[in-house]
Amino acid sequence: MKFYAPFCLPFIIGATTMFAIVLGKWLVWLLRLPRADKMLILRGLPSRATFGAIGEVFCESLLHRRIFRVNPVLGYMHMSLAFGWFLLISVGWIETVAHLGFRYVPLQGHVFFKYFATSLEHKPFFDFAMDLLLLFVLSGVALAWGKRLRSKALGMRRTTKHVLGDRIALSALWFIFPARLLAESATCALYGGGGFLTGTLGEWMHDRIGMLALMNLESAAWWFYSSCLGLFFVALPFSRYMHIFTEIPLIFLRRYRLRSGEKATSYDRFQLEACSRCGICIDPCQLQSVLGVDNVQSVYFLRDRRYKMLRPEIADNCLMCGRCATKCPVGIDLNTLRLNSRDRLRNLPDKRRYAYLKETDRSQGSGKVGYFAGCMTLLTPRILQAMEQVFTAAGEQVWWADRDGGVCCGRPLKLSGETDAARKMMRYNTELFRKHGITTLVTSCPICLKVFREDYALEGIEVLHHSEYILRLLRTGRLRLSHGDTRYTYHDPCELGRGSGIYDQPRAVIEAMGQLLEPAETRENALCCGSSVANTAISDGQQAAIARSVAAELEATGAETIVTACPLCKKAIARGATKEVHDLAEIVAAHIRR
Amino acid sequence: MASINFGYTISKPRAIDVDRNNLRRSDEILHEMPELQTCIGCGSCTAVCTAGNLTEFNFRRVHTLVRRGEYQGAYEEMNKCMLCGKCRLVCPRGINTRGVVMLIKHKLGDL
Repeated sequence: MKFYAPFCLPFIIGATTMFAIVLGKWLVWLLRLPRADKMLILRGLPSRATFGAIGEVFCESLLHRRIFRVNPVLGYMHMSLAFGWFLLISVGWIETVAHLGFRYVPLQGHVFFKYFATSLEHKPFFDFAMDLLLLFVLSGVALAWGKRLRSKALGMRRTTKHVLGDRIALSALWFIFPARLLAESATCALYGGGGFLTGTLGEWMHDRIGMLALMNLESAAWWFYSSCLGLFFVALPFSRYMHIFTEIPLIFLRRYRLRSGEKATSYDRFQLEACSRCGICIDPCQLQSVLGVDNVQSVYFLRDRRYKMLRPEIADNCLMCGRCATKCPVGIDLNTLRLNSRDRLRNLPDKRRYAYLKETDRSQGSGKVGYFAGCMTLLTPRILQAMEQVFTAAGEQVWWADRDGGVCCGRPLKLSGETDAARKMMRYNTELFRKHGITTLVTSCPICLKVFREDYALEGIEVLHHSEYILRLLRTGRLRLSHGDTRYTYHDPCELGRGSGIYDQPRAVIEAMGQLLEPAETRENALCCGSSVANTAISDGQQAAIARSVAAELEATGAETIVTACPLCKKAIARGATKEVHDLAEIVAAHIRR
Repeated sequence: MASINFGYTISKPRAIDVDRNNLRRSDEILHEMPELQTCIGCGSCTAVCTAGNLTEFNFRRVHTLVRRGEYQGAYEEMNKCMLCGKCRLVCPRGINTRGVVMLIKHKLGDL
């Protein structure tokens, strides 16, 4: 049996080109990894992480479980295309084996088996199974077409705007399966056989189309099918569809504990090209939903960075609230990639910078517990006074790190991309904490909290947010609060909730004083106040617009008081609110029972 | 008898000749950040400044001089800023002060 026909050429050329480029890309990215990352891979390969990765590849790359969680219809669309195509390939391979036994069949022999197998006896089971799978994939294609026409029907307000390479690959992909249906049906019309789909369509064509026309149609249809495949394969490495072959190694590397950091590495390439530009990150973005800014979202940021056309205006215009990252079906570390792009654009090592940091210790008091107010708390003195009352009521000896002025924690500068300069502040503050011998560090600013926990070397010093600290005082009976019937609603600050995973502690403290009402978007889905220090691009008016939308949602709960646990969120939301906005510490201080 | 020094010294009097200064970069800065022209010079930014609390750094002074075409030393001064963002929260004109800091640094030094 011969497994070659001229129409196979586009497919063979396309597939060879694709595999060569994809393997080349993988190799270059792997070789350029830092040494430490390579060691992690070597150590991870023979461990259980590999099995976990295989399972995750099945669940995510084929079944797309995480998209299902965000949006079931969209999940079905992606699953039918990915898992359906995978099954078509694997069941097709089994079909070949069932017909011919275990012998070598070239790749095009598997792919165009229906064309070559006309002389073999029919196996109705495979005819049926392959038609069923083709129908499964075609249903996904139909949904994809529908999504382009009306994205809202599939639960997406906005869908991604694509670049030219994507459009070519996308069009080719859309026609692959209809072309396959047509080609297989035409062959069935000439030679009989086929299942409920190709067989029925074949009979229908046989009855209506003349023999000569049918033979021409068959030849044209297989050429078209092969050309669509070839075009798709050639465009794949340069388009969004590179994600098919990038997500797989990404899952393995992530399981081997490789991570992106504040400096760009070759590992970022795996994350960049694993983005399928599904556009799920667009809807959660408040810059899109409130301000109508529609060219800065993660999907566009990753696209621009991948094709080396990233502009600072795009990189800077992000609240880094992390709402998109919680929804990303590929689990890309969007905030860190944004951060190391800014580092590339802006970081300038300057040895002389911040020489003035020496001799600036203005700390007061002494104690094992240190309190770091942070810049934003110093700007909201009511929070500082409230914390003082809490410490006094609990009988805590406190070392005040910066009540009379101190050095910024460094996170705002880091988020702007000046990572080396930010390190100087971090080192200064670390030395300050060490010098005063504290064992616990309390802060009321989630921005400081996050940088203390992630970037400071504070072994031996426990870092606590004031919500955690206050809850601990309540649990150990050192602080007693009176319970009233006020109804509160709580706003999760981004850096505290999604950033540091602290959701329950502030809620527990509020429930010790009154009734807690949850807003519509809460916890992992909580909105950003809009004044995030990560964004240096939006205007004051735009910040206020976001604040108003957030305040409106919080007020819709019917609560009398809006509570948050971040001085910056407090100031931001208060601008848009008609009800009182307080920090958790202020509410606690007002409820202390003596 | 010399007057009592209360410690509130201001800059020495001097003349700035805007006609002779090269305003190209100043114009570029104002073109990219037109809201800076709405500054009323109240000095709130400087009053709350974290870096200004620890050093002589004076944001109002630096950006005012830069707007007049006096670039000498402005980049080094701006590098003292910690970008904490308090100035942005207190600005009565809602000027994106952090953006101003980054823009001035970009135009005068980060080339």
